[in-house]
Amino acid sequence: MTMAAARRMVLVGVAVSLVFVAVGSIWLSLSAETFDEIAELFGASESPVWAAPIPDYEIPGLEGNIQANMAVGALFTLVVLAVTFGVARMLTPSRRD
Amino acid sequence: MHIPDGFLDLWICAVMFLLTAIFWIFAFRGARERLGDKQVPLMGTLTAMFFAAQMMNYPIIGGTTAHLLGGPVLAIVLGPYAGLISMTIILLIQALFFGDGGITTFGANVWNMGVVGVFVPYLVCLAAARAAKSRTGLLIGAFLGAFIGDLLAAICAGLELGLSTLSFPYSVSIAVTAMAIHHSVIGIGEGVVTATIVGILLKTRPDLLQMPKIAPRWLGEPRVVAAEVRGQ
Repeated sequence: MTMAAARRMVLVGVAVSLVFVAVGSIWLSLSAETFDEIAELFGASESPVWAAPIPDYEIPGLEGNIQANMAVGALFTLVVLAVTFGVARMLTPSRRD
Repeated sequence: MHIPDGFLDLWICAVMFLLTAIFWIFAFRGARERLGDKQVPLMGTLTAMFFAAQMMNYPIIGGTTAHLLGGPVLAIVLGPYAGLISMTIILLIQALFFGDGGITTFGANVWNMGVVGVFVPYLVCLAAARAAKSRTGLLIGAFLGAFIGDLLAAICAGLELGLSTLSFPYSVSIAVTAMAIHHSVIGIGEGVVTATIVGILLKTRPDLLQMPKIAPRWLGEPRVVAAEVRGQ
């Protein structure tokens, strides 16, 4: 795969990811996961040991704000991309195949 | 299927961390040996795509929702070791920033979705492709692998919950049955999407499926998933 082809693939992947984020924020945002429902039914309760800064993918104070949710999704999609690139790069010290 | 803090007894959390750590060691060692420059952009792109895809919650029976996990596609395209590393990154960011899955239960969550949800689909897909030696065989394997992987991951989560007698007041059989019944439906969705994505890749970018897989050595030729359908 050439550098240009790799760049094109990443750009297409990011574009598709942003579509997923938009669809997930606008139309498919309601989360009532089966696991949580079952756990609630059986009386299990959460006791977090860590206060997540963006609980349930919503910025505190901006809950229900679609634009904010989309921004968070887009930003963290890029964070995941960067972290994976970083980890993968560390694992491939200038090897070509 | 992200288990939050407080749902599992600490000893279960410790055991699951230990079991997962064994796979992490092999996965990172395997990736260090086999991951090439050409696979890095693909690994980054797919990981980001499945992180985003997990934000889409589609409705299923009983008023609940489900979302794609992505482990099966990551495994089939990149290999299970790379798939485990990708799922670990996704689950770590979800737990740290969004509280989606706990910190003490991180090992269990990676085990369910990153080990079982990645290795089982790869092995099933590999076996189906080897047996059928056709495009159809690969697609059936992709569907079955994703379905069985999702179901077994849910059964593992049910076992972990059921064995957590201090945190969860119900028996193993109740927890496993409840998880298995619901996730047999979710698994069909994961299977359909996985087979669809693999089918699209076979048609449009077969080269991506033919890249070397970051997989255990004992599985033999790492490109076998793609090699089985070469020349179709």
